[in-house]
Amino acid sequence: MQFKLLKSGYKKNADFYQAFVNERLTADSEFFSNEVVYFPSNKPFPIYMGVKKKGDKKQDFIDAIQVITSDYLQTSRELHFEEIVWHSYFVSCQREYIIEQYPDILESQADFENIVTKNFDWENYVYKCVLVAEYVADYSKDNAEQKLKLYNLVYDNLDLFNYIIKYPLFRNGDFVLKFLEVIDELKISDVMKAKIPNRPDLGKDERYGRRVILELNKSYPVILVPMLTKEELKIEVEKALALYYPQADSEK
Amino acid sequence: MIYKKDANFPYPILTNSSFDYEESEFYFDIELIENSEYYQFVIETTLTSSFIKTLLDLQKVELILIVQAKDNKFYPLKGLNDIIFIPKSRVSLNKRTTLQLQIRAKAQINFSANHELSLFYIQFKDKMNVEKNGTLGFSNIITFDSSNKKSYDLFEKKVDPNLLSEIKIELSTETIVIYYRNEEMQFAGLPHPINNLYVYMGLRTALQQFVLLFAEEGDECVYLNDINTPEEGLYLKLHQLMKQKGVEEISMDNLDAVIYQISDHIITKFTHTVRGLEGSAI
Repeated sequence: MQFKLLKSGYKKNADFYQAFVNERLTADSEFFSNEVVYFPSNKPFPIYMGVKKKGDKKQDFIDAIQVITSDYLQTSRELHFEEIVWHSYFVSCQREYIIEQYPDILESQADFENIVTKNFDWENYVYKCVLVAEYVADYSKDNAEQKLKLYNLVYDNLDLFNYIIKYPLFRNGDFVLKFLEVIDELKISDVMKAKIPNRPDLGKDERYGRRVILELNKSYPVILVPMLTKEELKIEVEKALALYYPQADSEK
Repeated sequence: MIYKKDANFPYPILTNSSFDYEESEFYFDIELIENSEYYQFVIETTLTSSFIKTLLDLQKVELILIVQAKDNKFYPLKGLNDIIFIPKSRVSLNKRTTLQLQIRAKAQINFSANHELSLFYIQFKDKMNVEKNGTLGFSNIITFDSSNKKSYDLFEKKVDPNLLSEIKIELSTETIVIYYRNEEMQFAGLPHPINNLYVYMGLRTALQQFVLLFAEEGDECVYLNDINTPEEGLYLKLHQLMKQKGVEEISMDNLDAVIYQISDHIITKFTHTVRGLEGSAI
């Protein structure tokens, strides 16, 4: 599947939005440059799993990662990890699919911008899915069962996952997945999600998991946290959690 | 993560700016070679500390290459010099990418055998330990951004209505010039790859000339590492491009293989473009 890249200036642009709505976004439109990109597939996948989406969002998330893995991940990162490429692709080649899945985008420019041309960073679902697809593909190689388990782990701990990839230090595939496995193996997923009671000094929405990440971040670079083995990481996580959750120690 | 600040460590650290070591140099340099699948980072490290070098030999510490762009990747090195391969599907050098070496302890390290420390540390170095996974030093930082990706400006397109043929390929001192008899033949407004057949012909013409000019007498093949680097102009650009893409030799027999190596699937892109026009998706 090949398509032209958009010229800059399409974001927050009412003319561009109207051209999309009214099917005027053909390849000879003024919004496109002459630069052409080739994708080996045109298989659609869910691009948004936020509040506006109904249905089984977890299944959407896993479907998206699986299609990205099978059909798009082999392209160079200059393509599949690039905002302009995805935005151009969605409006040029996936118009029908995204309208069917997210009909609100025809009604509201804000929804269109939140779902289709959203900034490509940790808040963007395509960004998350591409990261997870890459990380899990490299971590699990051909182990399909482990892959599925990791996709589930990411989704079930999405708040923590978001928080981890916000820190540049921890935006590392090995670390993110090892960390999620540690949480799973120590069976502390619920604790990590829980809010910390009686600690107004820590801010409004403080959760145990976020504090643990913060503590690990503080110890870098004296300890090269991202390079710890899983067993070493377990010890550091338990240490950090015990600072805020004394029960973790006494329960043993 | 790349470490830029001079942080306070509870023990001496080897960097290019700290005074913990009497003499403290920790530099690395990278030669980047790429093909259509991989980036190849050829790493050479200069490190003054024999204390650290001994630990490296004993495998009590290791050098870690950190590649930081939109995320971080860590690669342990086999020694001071190593070659790291990273597939293009996992790293992009388009946007700003920074690289650094860090020294990681693989076991507990004691400083008593370190005779290179500054006076301040000498009195209590025996009692200083760095635990496993601790950092013993940081190197300089190397940055790639789009400016490192040289565009060589190899081609010029011109229109000449007086041309005796329909198109003509000419080599000027700086570029490969494609002359068209009329402007329509340039396909303005259509996707760029539509011109790739001419690009291919131009490259082939230029590389043929390169072989004729640089092959030693009696030799059919040019060994790029052995010849003197062309001083300027088109042949310098071709030489740099081939070296960067990992081409080692070129002769009349492997011209097409070389073109494949130094360009990015230009015929495939041409094909897709024509197919695309056929279905008028573009």
